[in-house]
Amino acid sequence: MAATRARVSSFSRNVSTVTSQNPGLKHGPNGTMFISSGIPDLDKILGGGFSLGSLVMVMEDPEAPHHMLLLRNFMSQGLVQKQPLLYASASRDPKSFLGTLPSLVSPKGDKSSDLGQEKDLRIAWQYKKYFGGHHDYCNDFDLRKPLDRHFFSGINVDCVSIKDSPNLTSLQDRCAGFLAKFSRNEGSISSAGRIAIQSFCSPQCKYSNEEWHMLSFIRSLKGLARSSNAVIVVTFPPSLLSPSCSKRLQHMADTLLSVKAIPDEDQELAKLLTGYQDMIGLLNVTKLRGLIHRLYSYFILIYLWRVPVILDATTFSIKLQRRRFLVLECLNQAPVDGSSGSSYGTSGGCSGSTKAGSLDF
Amino acid sequence: MADSICRTLRDGALEGELAPTLTIKDSLASPFAFHVFSHILLQLSSHVIAQKSQSQGIVIVALSRSPSSYTSLLKMNGMDVASSNKWIHILDCYTDPLGWKDKARKSANVTDPSQQISLATSSYKTVKDVDKLFLVIAELGRGLVGENKARFCVAIDSLSELLRHASMQSVAGLLSNLRSHDQISSMFGLLHSDLHEERAVAVLEYMSSMVASVDPYHHSADGQKRCLESSLYDQNFTKGKFNVRFKRRNGRVRVTCEEFKVEPGGISFSPVSSVDGTVIAGIVPKVQFNLQLSEKERIDRSNVVLPFEHQGNGKPIQIYDGRRSLEESNSEANPISSGKKEDSAMGEIIYFRDSDDEMPDSDEDPDDDLDI
Repeated sequence: MAATRARVSSFSRNVSTVTSQNPGLKHGPNGTMFISSGIPDLDKILGGGFSLGSLVMVMEDPEAPHHMLLLRNFMSQGLVQKQPLLYASASRDPKSFLGTLPSLVSPKGDKSSDLGQEKDLRIAWQYKKYFGGHHDYCNDFDLRKPLDRHFFSGINVDCVSIKDSPNLTSLQDRCAGFLAKFSRNEGSISSAGRIAIQSFCSPQCKYSNEEWHMLSFIRSLKGLARSSNAVIVVTFPPSLLSPSCSKRLQHMADTLLSVKAIPDEDQELAKLLTGYQDMIGLLNVTKLRGLIHRLYSYFILIYLWRVPVILDATTFSIKLQRRRFLVLECLNQAPVDGSSGSSYGTSGGCSGSTKAGSLDF
Repeated sequence: MADSICRTLRDGALEGELAPTLTIKDSLASPFAFHVFSHILLQLSSHVIAQKSQSQGIVIVALSRSPSSYTSLLKMNGMDVASSNKWIHILDCYTDPLGWKDKARKSANVTDPSQQISLATSSYKTVKDVDKLFLVIAELGRGLVGENKARFCVAIDSLSELLRHASMQSVAGLLSNLRSHDQISSMFGLLHSDLHEERAVAVLEYMSSMVASVDPYHHSADGQKRCLESSLYDQNFTKGKFNVRFKRRNGRVRVTCEEFKVEPGGISFSPVSSVDGTVIAGIVPKVQFNLQLSEKERIDRSNVVLPFEHQGNGKPIQIYDGRRSLEESNSEANPISSGKKEDSAMGEIIYFRDSDDEMPDSDEDPDDDLDI
């Protein structure tokens, strides 16, 4: 009788409460959540990625298209991880920009692919619980190969053209409808959304003279982003705005980046900067801000504190590694205010008397 | 660099990319942008005639010059105007840009004077409507090159006139529409930069892939000094500097400078005589020390005679080991005799070693004498 009965011990562990995490999200300090910017070096620079609920502004250079590199990697990373994307630009056909997004870096060769897959399977068999899906938080992208069509031909992508609309009301409605799906009222974060607005306040848009209208739009967009699990990346050319409007837009950003072109075939820059041949531009991280959310369960109130951590402006060089991968490096340049003067200014003669006496020992 | 500009406009746009766009800026101090415009137009015309360019036709949007001046320009440079109708078309926004002559003709019933323009010309009388202007330009270009994949070039001879009639947003929209049109190979336009505020100039520079700036040869800040020195004044009106900022496809900016000279036959470019390097002043710090020796320092260093034996002066090395050979003693005897002959007052110490008295060592062992 005792042998046939299944014994249920009171010391058995409950194994069914394993929680799988979303691969596109990463926990940061003080309860913040990050999504990847699509560039591994930029994620390291920003302390993990773009903070959820933040507004990232990228200041364009009027002579360089480097803001599109940041935007393309940001959009590709979201599409690869099946995060919904809303893309708005001033071109007539915004969907054609999706064809220029870079693709994932594929492993080289069939043999190494099989070996890697076998190794992955072997590792997964032994240490399956340790992986947990953290391995593809940020991917490398090959700028020479376009992204597969099935990534952006689904329902996850929405494109808006802001060229012909007289004001930004329709774009605001589209953004509000998009962000309503990622409201923070839910208990757990199921997915994160991405909004990319390219070349905001372009001169060919009809609203580009109405600066207060544009500032009101960005202000409302920031308020919408704060209460949602999404990141909004907006690029704008500051040289085409009035200085006060440009400064207000910069102050509204949670994270502020700027890109800058470098001159071509400059001999002095080639001497001063190491790796000048691979450089295509400069990236400047001007502002970083962390979001701290605290939930007090006794009063069921949500306190939202923004503690600013404004780093010093750091300039990084944008390089194309083997003309395919986008990397960021600290600028290696010559030191400033070294000891001046020539080392060999005075040629002191150390030779003695050349007179050879008859008693030369 | 003007040749490089003409080469870029000749090669045109890649598939799926925006058309290369040139903006030529000038100011009152150096008002020669139309000479540069004419030079580029003639170069591109010769490429179109020889079928070396991507574009097979040119649409000129005439806003500040009459179509007859373009006819004269082509005739003056030896081009056959009769056969030019196949590859060039002028959109006349100069004669009656706002349609006032039509209203005057309807009221007064004046006969239209016969036009003697032999180039293909179409009138456009609502310059304020920039969207319609875009459609008319596209229609004229399609009439030149056909409905297929062939492309044409657009030349706007005054963006300043266009900005006078229309708003900045509509002009920027026109340029954006023209650049992203499938059949447009390249574009170039002219701009008087001191007529507009800085933001309008910045917008047009933002939308161009090449910005050429016609600058005066000498910058004279004082106007009275300019009147006094007439030679500098004359040089400013025949010579100048041609600065080009070229946005490359990899994101870098190439900055070049050339000199130009306005001649009766046209305009000529030459490399600049004094080369001044371009340095980003805000990013690149100034180095305070020398990393290499100058030429004078290198020569001085090679002349230093160092007191080391291994850096001799050409003589064979003689290391003093305490004893003298017979050759040295023979050579030593010579100055003694010469000293005696001269009867010098200086005293000399003559020292002979004791070891020279000994016989040189032999192979005999001194212990052989012992009787052990």
